[in-house]
Amino acid sequence: MAQRWQPDFEQLVDEHQSMVFSLAWRMTGDRGLAEEVAQDVFLELDRHMERIESPEHALNWLRRVAMSRSADALRRRRVRGVDLWVEIEDKHGSPAEERQSPLETRLEQLLSTLPEAQRAALVLRYQEDMTPEEIAVAVEAPIATVKSNLHRGLKLLRAKATTHLKEYIRGL
Amino acid sequence: MDSEWSNQPEKINGSEQDREFERELKQAMERRPAPPTLKRRIMQKRSARRTDRRHTTMIWWQRLAASLLAGAVLAGGFGWRQMEERRKGEEAKQQLMTALRITNQVLNNMNRKLAEHDRSDEAK
Repeated sequence: MAQRWQPDFEQLVDEHQSMVFSLAWRMTGDRGLAEEVAQDVFLELDRHMERIESPEHALNWLRRVAMSRSADALRRRRVRGVDLWVEIEDKHGSPAEERQSPLETRLEQLLSTLPEAQRAALVLRYQEDMTPEEIAVAVEAPIATVKSNLHRGLKLLRAKATTHLKEYIRGL
Repeated sequence: MDSEWSNQPEKINGSEQDREFERELKQAMERRPAPPTLKRRIMQKRSARRTDRRHTTMIWWQRLAASLLAGAVLAGGFGWRQMEERRKGEEAKQQLMTALRITNQVLNNMNRKLAEHDRSDEAK
C-alpha cells in the first residue's frame, strides 16, 4: 500500500506564500489586505491539513481558497464603502514595485480596473499559467464562462492599454 | 501553460501584436515575493491559535468538571435530604407506635379495673 503523503505546514508556507500573496494582491489591489488574506488562507490550510492528500492538492486548494478569500475581502470592502480604486492608485507605484518596469506596473494597474471575474481569470491564466479548465475548477465556474471571461478580459485590457499606455503603443 | 490555448493566440485576439501583448502581460504578472515577515506572522498566529484552542479546551473541561461536581453535590444534597426525611418519618412512626402501645396498655388497665369494680359491686 502506498504511503500517505504527510504535509508539512511550514514547508507549504515556504513554497506557496509568494503565489498566495500575489493572487491576493492582484485580486484586491491592496498590499495590506493581501497580507491579511494570505494569512487567513494559510491558517485555514492549517485547519484542513488532514484533508490535503498531495502537493498538487495543496497547490490547487491554496489557489482556490486564495481566490475565494480575496473575493470575500473585496466584497467586505465594498460593503464598508472603501474606495478601492483610489487606494489602488495610491498603492501602485509604491517602493515595492520598483523592480517592475513602468509598463508592467501600468499593466497591473489597468488589470486592477477590470471586472472581478475577468481579473480572476486573467490572473490565474497569466500569473499561474493555468488552463481554462483548471481556472474553471479554481473559481468554481463553468468552463465556457471562464473562456468568455478570458477573452473579454484580454480584449478590455488591451483596449485600455491602447488608450492609456502610450509608451506601449510606441514600442510596438 | 496550456499549449493548445497559448499556441493559438489568434483564437483570442488574432495578431502578432496580441501575442506581444500577452507576453508583456505574462511578464507583468510574475509572482511577487511575499513580504519577509509574512511567514513569521503566519507561524505566530498559528501558534497563538493553537494555544488559544488548548486554553479553550481546558476551560471547557474545567466547566464540565465544575458542572459534574455541582451536579454531584446537588444530587448528594437531594439524596441526603430524602434519607433524612425518611429517617424522621420512621422516627415519628416509631414514636406514634409507642404512644399507641402506651395508650393501649392504659386503656386495658382501665378496662380491667372497671371490670373488677363491676364484679365487686355485683358481689355486694
